[in-house]
Parts: sequence; structure tokens; C-alpha cells
Amino acid sequence: MRHRTRKLLFEPGDVSAAPSVLRVRPAPPPPTGPGPEDEVALDLEPRELWIAAHVPQLSLLALSAGSSAGPLVVLDEARNPRIVDADARAQAAGVRPGMMLAAAFATAPDIDARPRDAARELALMKRLAGTAAAFTPQVSIEPPDGLLLEIKPSIRLFGGLKELCRRLRDACLADAAFARSGVQPHFTLAPTALAALAAARGGARCFITDPRQLPARLKLLPVGVLRWPEEANARLLAMGVRTLGELLRLPRAGFARRFGPATLADLDRLLGRRADPRRRLTRRERYVGRLDLDHEIEDHDRILEALRPLLDELAQFLRARQRGITALQCRFHHYRAAPTTCALRLAAPEADAARLQSLLRERLANLRFPEPVRRCELRGGAPTDRPLTSKSLWSAGERGHAPANEMPALIEHLRARLGADAVYGLRGVPEHRPENAQAVAEPALAPVVSTPRVGPGAGPDDGKTSTSLPFRRPLWLLHAPQELGSQRGRPRHGGPLQLLAGPERIESGWWDGADVQRDYYVASDTRGARFWIYRECMGARKWFLQGIFG
Amino acid sequence: MLETHEKQLEELLAHPSVWRGRSRAAVETFSTGFAALDAGLPGGGWPRHGLVEILTPHLGVGELYLLLPVLAALSRLLPARWCTWVSPPHEPFAPALTAHGVALDRMLIVRTHLPLWAHEQALRSGACEVALAWLPRASPRAVRRLQLAAEQGRALGVLYRSQRFASEASPAMLRVLLEPTLVAGQHGARLHLLKSRGGSREPIDLTWAEPSA
Repeated sequence: MRHRTRKLLFEPGDVSAAPSVLRVRPAPPPPTGPGPEDEVALDLEPRELWIAAHVPQLSLLALSAGSSAGPLVVLDEARNPRIVDADARAQAAGVRPGMMLAAAFATAPDIDARPRDAARELALMKRLAGTAAAFTPQVSIEPPDGLLLEIKPSIRLFGGLKELCRRLRDACLADAAFARSGVQPHFTLAPTALAALAAARGGARCFITDPRQLPARLKLLPVGVLRWPEEANARLLAMGVRTLGELLRLPRAGFARRFGPATLADLDRLLGRRADPRRRLTRRERYVGRLDLDHEIEDHDRILEALRPLLDELAQFLRARQRGITALQCRFHHYRAAPTTCALRLAAPEADAARLQSLLRERLANLRFPEPVRRCELRGGAPTDRPLTSKSLWSAGERGHAPANEMPALIEHLRARLGADAVYGLRGVPEHRPENAQAVAEPALAPVVSTPRVGPGAGPDDGKTSTSLPFRRPLWLLHAPQELGSQRGRPRHGGPLQLLAGPERIESGWWDGADVQRDYYVASDTRGARFWIYRECMGARKWFLQGIFG
Repeated sequence: MLETHEKQLEELLAHPSVWRGRSRAAVETFSTGFAALDAGLPGGGWPRHGLVEILTPHLGVGELYLLLPVLAALSRLLPARWCTWVSPPHEPFAPALTAHGVALDRMLIVRTHLPLWAHEQALRSGACEVALAWLPRASPRAVRRLQLAAEQGRALGVLYRSQRFASEASPAMLRVLLEPTLVAGQHGARLHLLKSRGGSREPIDLTWAEPSA
């Protein structure tokens, strides 16, 4: 009995204290009952290990956040409300769960009766699930008050089962709700999800890793822990079946006939004879932090200073998930004026508080508050995976240094101050019309090129076509062609222009409405600057300046 | 006796932190792509990091042609750092850059009313190999800041300024004045080194290369 010798966290309850009634009935031959079939080839290593956490008096816990006047009592949503839970003071006054409200009032007139708050209960469970998610990705909430974790794959990571359980427990108990109320969730460990859950609900101490021990360990638990419908429980009670042990001894076929195959499947899941997949709790996690300022602040630096705790919290939130954010929204609330918002977009996922603060500083520099700020709100965008990189041995610019995140950092920094449109890359477009031959592109922040490009002009976009251009192209392109004066058909720009090369006719775009028919020339002025000019082939045959040979 | 003194003096002057006018300073450089210019510049090329001022009388004298070989070579290094253009007077024409062998995916353009700030950020960041900036005006103090930023970020900073500032003092490492050559049929420029640590005193004539068809 390996599990006995260890001094473990969820120590099983003392089995010898079982009522003797349960022992007198001899065990029926296993194959007939819903109990364990004698499986010889059960490997010692369980396939799964589940930890269940049951929060007793969850409804009470969810409501007790605020202080209550009298003894607190929680009601269900029925028309004739019954007491779901009563706190210690109410219980001392004689109120018991299951009482009708009227009876409770008769017993203790000063009770503070409130309907249960399902949303807050769920929020509390979700918070707990979030804490548990640090230990395993397989976390699910069993409504309303149970939490299930599959931890088998995480055992080695956390240095053994015992250590994992200890840390999980410590992490969960650190939650404010438990610290305040003194209520603690009950943890159990079992090879099947349902068994762990049942034991947790029953309040039994359960720490089993061997599936073969399950029937023996569960047999003392009341049938109610399975949370079957009231009607089924009543029928079982009428049959004299009160514990799981008694239940498991019932004949399988008869049980299925009386209670339905779904109920039997539940028992099979309980003992691990049937797969029991659970839906993972995937949370759309966003960071939202709020901060009420002690004084109204208008000074940007002081606001940034005040935001620092929130940013630290955000960074910690992201670090724990190994993720980063690419968007951050800051909202500043004022007394009368509408809130001022300031959105930050990042080129690459970021999780560093100092970096975010310096970006916010640039962003705030452009922001003017209509009134002093009373309250700040920070909303992180969707967290995305952040590739973790090692620090480089070389500093930036040294040979051997592989540029990693300096560029995203620079782009963010510039954009934070100048706006997103002010910083861009260029992309060639295979087009004859010069004004359409290039486009603004998002800077290619992909990891540094590692494929050697062959020869000049073999760029990713348009290499070949441009390289083989038989005509010269200027290095500067004017944003819009500039009309030139002309004198006796000769173009002028400052002085008369001398045509050096041309014409090169570009005729294109009849299909999209921006039809051009132009004769392009290379021209030089008296000062030696070279221009790329064209003359329209249509209409007034005006001269235009479109480019400069830098 | 005199000989030993001279020898001691030589040793003292050979110290790397001592710079004597017109002596070739030991700087890390890369080739400009023009043989004549390489021969004239201290160290045989553009400094690897530091600030270079290029003064031009007007746009279109070859201010980009002068740097094209460098841009092409640097943007194709592996791994390549970036080339940032801070508030260029017009849009750099992508097909022409590609034709000259410049990799477009390492080019970043910044349009700003704060060119000085943006240029300093680009130089200091360590993300850029070259940062070009067109500044309408810059005080010697601002230029000094840029020079320090370029050294810190190990980048080559290029400052395009008007010829008007040629007479002003500047903390830049290298100052170059470009003048168009007015010879018919020749596309080139004459280059004067206004300030250099041991560069050529003579003007250097350059002819701009066109991409081979």
C-alpha cells in the first residue's frame, strides 16, 4: 500500500472507522455488479490523475464579499425559496440548509436572507480555475462548486506529486475570498475525474493513484455526492442503498434497467472503466486593471508614475502566461468630461513593464487632457504567444550580433510618438505607371533573412522586372507630378531644361480609369540636377516633373 | 640622446587616443563602392559608425547615388540591419532602388515633424545599419547628439544638409560637400572633404553608375 506509507497531502480517511454494517454484506461476484470487473492487466501507472477541488458553501462565499448586517442566509431561485446555505451565525441560531424561508424566519427573525448570485459564484470559480491553470492546461469547472484538474503530465515539472499538490493548494488558498472567510476548498486526488470529484464533495480525504483502490476508497461516500437527480437518490434510498459501496454491489443489468444506461455510464466513469473526457476551460484572457487616484492629476509624468503598478501587474500577468500583448488601451476618466482614451499598438508582442511605460510616455506626450484625471483604466489586448529569446552575447551593431528585437522596439517607439502611418516600408509593385509602381508596406519584421539572395535585384517583390529595365528610373519620386512651365514647347523648371534621354512612352491604365499616355524624358537643368519629366500625349500636351535622379 | 627622445615622442604619438591632424585615424570602415572615394577617405571608406554630413547645393546632385553602393551592400548583409530614411524630401522610388540592388525589405521610412528626434532614436536603437536624415536645420549641439547616438548604436548616420551650412562648425566625423559636374554627357559630381580625419585635400570626381540592363 504505497499510498499509505507516504505522508501525503490528501491523506485518505481512516477506513477502519467505517460502520461495520457495510462489512457484513459479502461482496457479490464482480462481473455481475457495476463494481470493478477483475481486470488483471491494470498497469500500475494510472493513465490520468485528477485533482478535484470542491468549494464548500460557495454561494455563501460569493455573497459574503460585502459585510452583512445579520446572520447571512442564501436562498435558491425557487418560488418558495429554500435555504441553500447559512453562515455560522445563522447555523448557530438554528437555521439549516434545506429549510423553507418562512421556517428560517420563524427560527431566527434577524437573518439576512439573499438570493444566490450565480454570476459571482462563477466568477469566483473562474478565478480559482485561473490559478489552477498555472499547473496544468486541463482545467475544467464542474458547476457550480467543483474544479477538476488533470495533472499527470505536470508532475515532473513541479518536482513530484507531493510538491505539485502543495503548491496548488498554496496558490488556491492565497485567493482573497478564502483568506477573508476562512472557508477552504477541499482537494482530492484520484485516477478518475468523477471519483476525485465525488470524494471532494463528500469531504473525504482521498489521495489515490492506483485505480484498483478506487472501489474500496469510495465505498463510504454517500450516494448524494454523485449529484444524481433527487428522484434517483430517493429510489436508491428506498432500496436501502446509501453509500457508493452499496451502490457498486448492485447487479449491473438490473441497475441499467431501473436507472437507465446513462446512470450506469456514470458509475463506469467513476471507476475508470469508461473514458471521461472533460472540456478544457479556455479563457479569453484579457488584462483589465483600474486605479482610482488619490488626487486628481493632470501632470503626464505623475500619471505615468501612477500607472506603473498597473503596468507591473500587466507584465506579471503576461509573464505567467509566457505571452505578450500587441495592443494596449489606456482610459483616463475625468470628473465631467468624457474619458480620454489612448491606444497603443505594438509591432511585436511585448510583456515588459518598463518598455510599455516608455511607449506610453511617447504616446501621452501627444495627448491633452480636458480635465484632471481621476481614474485610470488599463486594458490589454488579446495576449499572443511571445517567442522567448536569449540575450545576445554581442551588442547591437557588432559583427556576430543577430538583430532580434531592436527593430520592433524602434518602430513601436517611433509610432508611439508619430502615429502608425508615419513609419512604413516600401514594396515594389509590377506596374508601368510610376505612381503605382510602389506601395507602402508594413515593415517586414520577420526574423532576419537567412536565405542568401542571388545577385543584385533579386529582391522578394519585383526583382527581375526592375533589374532588366532598359530605361533609367529616378531615385526620388514626387508625391504628385508637378506641372512645369514651357516655352516654345520646351519645358522649364527654374530655367530651361535640357532633354538628355527619351522619349520613353508609358501608356497604361485604360482599364481602371487612371489612363496615362506619357512620353518620359531625362532632363537636366542649368545647375546640373537631373529630372525625370514627361509630356502628356493627350490634350494640352503639358510637361510634368515626376522624379529626380537623386 | 636626441634620437631616444624622438623615439619616445613617436611612441607617445602612436597612442590610439592621440589624433594628429591629417594623420590617418584608425577607424573601422566599409568601402564606398567608388575606388576614387575609397582612396581619398580616411580608413579607405565610410566609417562603420559615426555621423557623416553630406552638404548639397540642391536636390538631385547625386546625394543618393553616392550612397547607393553602400545601401545595396549593407541591405544584403546576413543578418542585415535596417536602413532608415528620416523625413526624405520625396518618396524613394522603389523600382529604382531595387534596380540598384538595394533590398527593399530592410528600408524603413519615417515621416515626421520631429526629424531630429526620430533620427536620434534610429541611430541609438542598434536596429539600423544606416540612418539617413534630411534636416532643415540642426544646431551643433543637436549634431553632437546624433554623433553620440550613432556611436552608441553602432550605426552610420548620414545627415543631408544644405550647402549653406558648409561654413558652420559641426561635430560630425566627416563632412562632404557635393557639387554637380556640369560636363555634358557625364552624370557625376565633384566631392570635397570639408572635414575628415586625414582624408584627401583634393576634390574627388565621381561618376554615378547606372544599373546594368
